[in-house]
Amino acid sequence: MLAFVVRRIVTTIPVMAFVALFVFSLLYIAPGDPAAIIAGDQASPADVERIRASLGLDRPYLVRFAEWSFRVVQGDLGTSIFTSLPVTQLIAQRIEPTVSLMILTLIFAVIVAVPMGVIAAWKAGSWIDKGAMAFAVLGFSVPVFVVGYLLAWIFALKLEWLPVQGYTPISAGFWPWLKNLILPAITLGLVYIALIARITRATMLEVLQQDYVRTAQAKGVAQKDVLFLHSLKNAAVPIVTIVGIGIALLIGGAVVTESVFAIPGLGRLTVDAILRRDYPVIQGVVLMFSLVYVLVNLLIDLTYTLVDPRIRY
Amino acid sequence: MVAPAGPVVAAEPAKPAGPSRAVRFRRYLRRHPSVAIGGGLLVLMALIGIFAPLLWTVDPTAISPARRTRMPSELYWFGTDMLGRDVYSRVIYGARVSLLVGFSVAILASVVGLTIGLFAGFVRWADGIIMRIIDGMMSIPPILLAIALMALTRGSIQNVIIAITVAEIPRVARLVRGVVLSLREQPYVEAAVANGARVPRIIFRHILPNTFAPMSVQATYICASAMIVEAILSFIGAGVPPSTPSWGNIMAEGRALWQVRPHIILFPAVFLSLTVLAVNLLGDGLRDSLDPRLAKSI
Repeated sequence: MLAFVVRRIVTTIPVMAFVALFVFSLLYIAPGDPAAIIAGDQASPADVERIRASLGLDRPYLVRFAEWSFRVVQGDLGTSIFTSLPVTQLIAQRIEPTVSLMILTLIFAVIVAVPMGVIAAWKAGSWIDKGAMAFAVLGFSVPVFVVGYLLAWIFALKLEWLPVQGYTPISAGFWPWLKNLILPAITLGLVYIALIARITRATMLEVLQQDYVRTAQAKGVAQKDVLFLHSLKNAAVPIVTIVGIGIALLIGGAVVTESVFAIPGLGRLTVDAILRRDYPVIQGVVLMFSLVYVLVNLLIDLTYTLVDPRIRY
Repeated sequence: MVAPAGPVVAAEPAKPAGPSRAVRFRRYLRRHPSVAIGGGLLVLMALIGIFAPLLWTVDPTAISPARRTRMPSELYWFGTDMLGRDVYSRVIYGARVSLLVGFSVAILASVVGLTIGLFAGFVRWADGIIMRIIDGMMSIPPILLAIALMALTRGSIQNVIIAITVAEIPRVARLVRGVVLSLREQPYVEAAVANGARVPRIIFRHILPNTFAPMSVQATYICASAMIVEAILSFIGAGVPPSTPSWGNIMAEGRALWQVRPHIILFPAVFLSLTVLAVNLLGDGLRDSLDPRLAKSI
């Protein structure tokens, strides 16, 4: 087990190294000369050259990559061109809304999608199954912002049940926080639900054909126990895996959802940075999101043994 | 097994008694209604895009301050936007951008991904390096990867296509590599190798035809995903230039007014959703008909 954990952690190192190289190259080949920007309009070419040297921008690509990586490991992601604030500080300011949104979406999606997939598999071929799978196809087809505006229009503008836009920090109270996040979480969760429900159904269909399921049914175990205890447990690994892979969808979707619902999170930060061509911020956000994605999936790989005791490393 | 229409027809040309190609095609569509519905809808959208100038549209970029933000009416079917442009014309012309991006990305990502996947599957020493790079690329969420690439260049349809293609390639390459690795173990491939067949012959004769089914399904999903990513990129202002009427751009422009003029967002949203739905239905149908084993499970 320990050997596996170590090996698995070691395999993420080249992956993260590649991501770091990609993100670094982004800034390296980005148009615009930081030295010229810092020097200003009045500077002579000699001044620009001097600033370039003092920033280390005249050194070779790999040397700069090594220096940059060294700083990143120490938690220094550079300075935003637009706001002159450290990128880490900008990210720290925006992290709460995004993390709140993602966690809420994750919980909501799993609670809806897993039972949906289980029941669809149990009643395979019935109208419940067809309805659930039609919903899944729709979930894949209707883009996030379309769902967002539709829900906001119905539940916030017409019915006035929930706030239209904005975000309330959790420090201001749980209900105000939750109220602002319900619509964004449903919006963001739709694709995710579609994905998880499909995989759950597919895996459950296979598990339900196993002999031990028939045995359990034959000896009179209650149907809900057969489904949710005997079968779901054995279908858990693919489901947990897709929950992890689907985090990529959540990250991409958060960028849009936050724009639609005016949530001041990392997604908004990304969009603003793109519009202003604030490369250090773009770099920082991409790096951070990728790190989160890799770590979540690493964690999931490591929890397989908990989900399924038969898996031994 | 339900055979895919194309290859089977080619494989048995001289069968005078069998039903004609058209009959078989119709029978295939009846057995796979989602292919018929999705394909039909997609063809309709393509026709709309191709014949946009003939569909009672006006110049989609014509600005007219006098008739700003009109509600839908007999004169302006989908209303007008903030600059007085006709939303109906913009939505109809927008079909061109979405379909162009969707198809281009699907084709480009398939070709490049197929090449990389075949290479990784055959050239064993390169496999490790290629797969590590692919793992690295796949650990960046595709939309973020596309956004990051778009940040480097100016917004144009061409750059959007390239950015989304790069983000999609790893998935195709990995799929093809998996197929190649499993096919290499097949007895008939081993027999071909034992017979002294050269690598190009093995690839073109034995491997490539077998990648066709999973690839065509994958390509439709890439097409659907590319259309959504294009709309997202345009929506957040990192996609095609604002002057180009694309569904994402129209929605981005409607954002400021969505509480009072929701139709500016609604119409492109419906068209985009229907088009992506059509592609997804086509993909599901193809998957079911090309691989009945998979159809049962997913």
